[in-house]
Amino acid sequence: MTALLDVQQLSKSYRKQTGLFRYRTVQALHDISFTLQSGKTLAIVGETGSGKSTLARLLVGIEKPDAGDILLAGNTVTTSHYRQYNHTIRFIFQDAAKSLNPNQKIGQMLDDVLRLNTVFDATQRAQKVRLTLKQLGLLNEHIDYYPHMFSGGQLQRVALARALILDPKLLILDEALTALDPSLRAQIVNLLLELQQQSGLAYLLISNHLRLVRHIADDVLVLYQGKMLDYAPASEVFSNPQHDYTRKLINSSQA
Amino acid sequence: MLLLDIKNLTIELSTANGLIRAVDRVNLSLREGETRGLVGESGSGKSLIAKAIVGVLNKRWRVTADRFNWAGKDILNLPYEQQRKIIGRDIAMIYQEPSRSLDPTAVILEQLEEAIPAHVLDGPWWKRSYLRRHKAIALLHKVGIRDHQSVLQSYPYQLSEGICQKIMIAMAVAKSPKLLIADEPTTALESTTQAQLFRLLSSINQLKGTSVLLISHELESIARYTQTLSVLYCGQLVEAGETAAILKQPFHPYTNALIKSVPEFQPDLVPKTPLYALPGSIPVLQHLPIGCRLGPRCPNARKECVKTPAIERLQNHYFSCHFPLTGKTV
Ligand SMILES: Nc1ncnc2c1ncn2[C@@H]1O[C@H](COP(=O)(O)OP(=O)(O)OP(=O)(O)O)[C@@H](O)[C@H]1O
Ligand SMILES: Nc1ncnc2c1ncn2[C@@H]1O[C@H](COP(=O)(O)OP(=O)(O)O)[C@@H](O)[C@H]1O
Ligand code: SF4
Ligand SMILES: [Mg+2]
Ligand SMILES: [Mg+2]
Repeated sequence: MTALLDVQQLSKSYRKQTGLFRYRTVQALHDISFTLQSGKTLAIVGETGSGKSTLARLLVGIEKPDAGDILLAGNTVTTSHYRQYNHTIRFIFQDAAKSLNPNQKIGQMLDDVLRLNTVFDATQRAQKVRLTLKQLGLLNEHIDYYPHMFSGGQLQRVALARALILDPKLLILDEALTALDPSLRAQIVNLLLELQQQSGLAYLLISNHLRLVRHIADDVLVLYQGKMLDYAPASEVFSNPQHDYTRKLINSSQA
Repeated sequence: MLLLDIKNLTIELSTANGLIRAVDRVNLSLREGETRGLVGESGSGKSLIAKAIVGVLNKRWRVTADRFNWAGKDILNLPYEQQRKIIGRDIAMIYQEPSRSLDPTAVILEQLEEAIPAHVLDGPWWKRSYLRRHKAIALLHKVGIRDHQSVLQSYPYQLSEGICQKIMIAMAVAKSPKLLIADEPTTALESTTQAQLFRLLSSINQLKGTSVLLISHELESIARYTQTLSVLYCGQLVEAGETAAILKQPFHPYTNALIKSVPEFQPDLVPKTPLYALPGSIPVLQHLPIGCRLGPRCPNARKECVKTPAIERLQNHYFSCHFPLTGKTV
């Protein structure tokens, strides 16, 4: 069976200013390979600056890799195909709130997503918007809310709604669960698990919340300074980490 | 001595459809050197309370209270300028959104140096700029940024969210405040840095006697680093008291649900099974349920709950529920 997502030897570097005229190259990602099957969850963990968000940006095609391939259901993906696989891969970034248009009501924003990406008519769209809001524990009243009227955690849910409304095959969550309060997080985790069981949705979960990772991930990949360390089934990584860094990471979350 | 003592804090927003009450008669106090946790569902008003204390809410919000004492002094009735002066000097806040609080057009060095007030530099004036630079670097080291050279020369957008958050903390502790309000300071950070920052906050608390109001979703850290806890639901205080006592035996069904929803507190949890969660979601402020605000979601709700429960007290433990989970011992 071809994997839903197959990433082969991905590398990416940035030029970074270190002085007035001095630059230094930062190798944000180095030779990263992994696969993700439908209905599974892969967690990417690693410290700040280890390249997690960079990886997410490459996967959704916002940036181009220096080297390596991204295969989606067996087909190579390039940045120019971005619109085409916009449906299949949806993502929620760390700074989800910033990516919302402050002058647009939430209902309108969700309607636009459907209008641009589906053939639904107005009634179908309205229905889907209501259903999605409900799934995410938001209310009908929120249709008329502007982004600034939500609290931080509520905004994260709005971002999730925007991602899930197109029924994607792969959802990339860049620290999208961390900012949620525990009771809300539990609801969303349950929703994600349910969707996964029902429709085989796959998740790429970028998170430092190791207890949560342990609960929902099938596989775990540890990034350190852009390089892969442990990459194995979650139970193995947690019970028998191969690298000192991974051990330290796990201990620090349990200490 | 009570450092901060607020009674019946109410925060309202005037809209086209009248006043909306986002925070309803909340009591909050902190002793000198105390670390208090503030938890509650998203949208329950935690950030609003924090912002009201530091006075950064914009004019559309109306903040009222029956009492607002700072270090034993009533500051509610002081002229605005004097309020600002006291709060600006004594209270520092770390905001939830680091990238929004840093100036995108200035390098970190400038912003950090600006945050260091003259009175914390001891040395002759002609050494000030040297000392200030020194202090800026020391602050970065303190929050765990080793690579100070390149960070100081960077603009916020060039740095990851996590590093920005650490810089925010460095800026907040720069003025040696009496009260540090941290609004979800570690949300964007990985667990190693998270632990490091909680330890940092706790060492600032212990070494300098700084009081800390910690708003966080990480109940585990709340358990470890706070002595007292206030739990909010939908703009109201539902439970308050000693952190350890509340976590051991919550009285309020919302607090109970909060604790049970955290995998860290559920050692026997099987991977990929549903977590404990209350059904439904927090109501919007325009359409609050009659009586207890948790009513529609509460597993223990009975018909008495259409009457708003009053705050009750059992020793140092406050709660507002007609049917506390301990049984009706009151
Ligand atoms: N646009 C950019 N210009 C320069 N450097 C960048 C840029 N984007 C990322 N980097 C650098 O690439 C590295 C990886 O960044 P990335 O944001 O992916 O880290 P991260 O692991 O997700 O961190 P965090 O968890 O804090 O978000 C960092 O050293 C970062 O400073
Ligand atoms: N500008 C605004 N207009 C209308 N409602 C707002 C606004 N800002 C916040 N709110 C509402 O106030 C409540 C509390 O928000 P906040 O303090 O940010 O919550 P949190 O506890 O997550 O920090 C929420 O119900 C939110 O929707
Ligand atoms: S007063 Fe009633 S509805 Fe409210 S929390 Fe208590 S039992 Fe539940
Ligand atoms: Mg990131
Ligand atoms: Mg908040």
